[in-house]
Amino acid sequence: MFDARNISLRYGKHLAVDDVSISVGEGECVVILGANGAGKSSLLRGISRMAPIDPAGRITLRGADLGAVPAHRIVEEGIALVPEGRGVFTEMTVEDNLWLGSNPKRARADNETRRGEILALFPRLAERRKQRVGTMSGGEQQMVAIARALMSNPDLLFLDEPSLGLAPIVVKELFATLTRIKESGVSMLLVEQNVTSSLALADRGYVLEAGRITSEGTARELSSSSVVMEAFLGH
Amino acid sequence: MLSSTLIVGLVLGGTYALLALGLTIQYGVARIMNLAYGELVIAGAFFTMLMVTQAGLNPLVALILALPLGYGFSWLLYTVVLHPLARRSKSQGQLEVDSILVTFGLLFLMQGLYQVNFGGNFQGYQWLQNPVNILGTKIAGGRVIGLVFAVLIGALLYLAMIKTRWGVNMRAVASRPQFAALVGIDMRKEARMAFATGGALAAAGGAILSMYQTFTAVDGTFLTMKALVIVIMGGVGNLIGALLSGIIIGLVEAGVSVAIDPGLTLAATYAIFLVVLLWRPRGLFST
Repeated sequence: MFDARNISLRYGKHLAVDDVSISVGEGECVVILGANGAGKSSLLRGISRMAPIDPAGRITLRGADLGAVPAHRIVEEGIALVPEGRGVFTEMTVEDNLWLGSNPKRARADNETRRGEILALFPRLAERRKQRVGTMSGGEQQMVAIARALMSNPDLLFLDEPSLGLAPIVVKELFATLTRIKESGVSMLLVEQNVTSSLALADRGYVLEAGRITSEGTARELSSSSVVMEAFLGH
Repeated sequence: MLSSTLIVGLVLGGTYALLALGLTIQYGVARIMNLAYGELVIAGAFFTMLMVTQAGLNPLVALILALPLGYGFSWLLYTVVLHPLARRSKSQGQLEVDSILVTFGLLFLMQGLYQVNFGGNFQGYQWLQNPVNILGTKIAGGRVIGLVFAVLIGALLYLAMIKTRWGVNMRAVASRPQFAALVGIDMRKEARMAFATGGALAAAGGAILSMYQTFTAVDGTFLTMKALVIVIMGGVGNLIGALLSGIIIGLVEAGVSVAIDPGLTLAATYAIFLVVLLWRPRGLFST
């Protein structure tokens, strides 16, 4: 359903992502693994149009070309991004953040039903609807970010290191929630350093090293590959 | 005497609060420091005066008309002059410097136009001068109605900011502009709308001001300064802060004017401003 071909992205002279091609199938969960500085976040920002990519790159969603779509229209096209650092509005309440998530027209029709479903998925947020997001724990803020993304009724969810900085028990809870979201039929593209948890969740994965894809395969193949562990450790 | 000071202070404070709301929306959301803001307030006052004296309209009708006119004028101003600045500026700092310079020039242009057309004298019209009795204090009817409308418009705006998608989007941009695209907000459209909304409030504030006091072609400068002081006191982008600070400044001005000397009101405003800057530079109501 989602296809990104020949993506390159640079910061000045530094080539952060070097001619990368990836795809996500319908209902599939794909993970991009790699060490710090491998270019994972840059790649995700590039293919979600939040950062400019080289003109040779092609991004399509269900055949529709996203190359000229401005950043704020991407969520209307059906891709919701949960960025690194979560990108939540910390001065505002949980409720306001969720409301903002339902901004796109594609989300308006059954907004209320969806909100109910999402709050059922995140019971802690249901209890804290009126709380300011800035006063919540890191794990809860991550939940707000994911819930907000789901409010846009996405076909495809991009998640940039959702487990970063969270305690192991919270990470476990997070991946359990992501599994439930995957089961609900939303396709996912996940950038992670947590190899074990993300390969348990994903169907397929890519390994990114110094801006290039060095291996790819099914989650099972990658789990048993020594290359993955090396890439992850940055050797 | 105390209650009359209080009421005069509240009327003044209510108008200031409305003016500060407009400026804080323009600065907080559109990131434009609009030094010609007071000139639009004065435009609202002149417009109301003309509608009353030339067209024989009720000032309240003029107030209702001033809202869309102020919105439309500011919308055009943003589209034609400020948007190109916003588009080419590489950083927030550059946009601030550029917008300060451009609106500073605009201030003189507008003041010049007012002076050519109306001269430098005090302007105004007579409306509801008959006093009404409130808590034993006699106060001109125009002032009371002015306060009622300032509070009404301020309250409606506040409710819209809290309860509508329009307002929630605006608050989101004010607090974290870099995340706006994540929730499908078009920053350009949002900035233009916020700038225009601020303009509508400025024009309405001018219409209300003209209901109970005279003004001159060059009063805009002081109004911009006062609104700016109130915005910083309340914390940039903080609507409730702007409302409360506006009322505080109004009460202080009325108090100083009665207890010490009317010539010291501006000095008192800046004295408070200095204390706030030294003591709570992020505003009285920052958390």
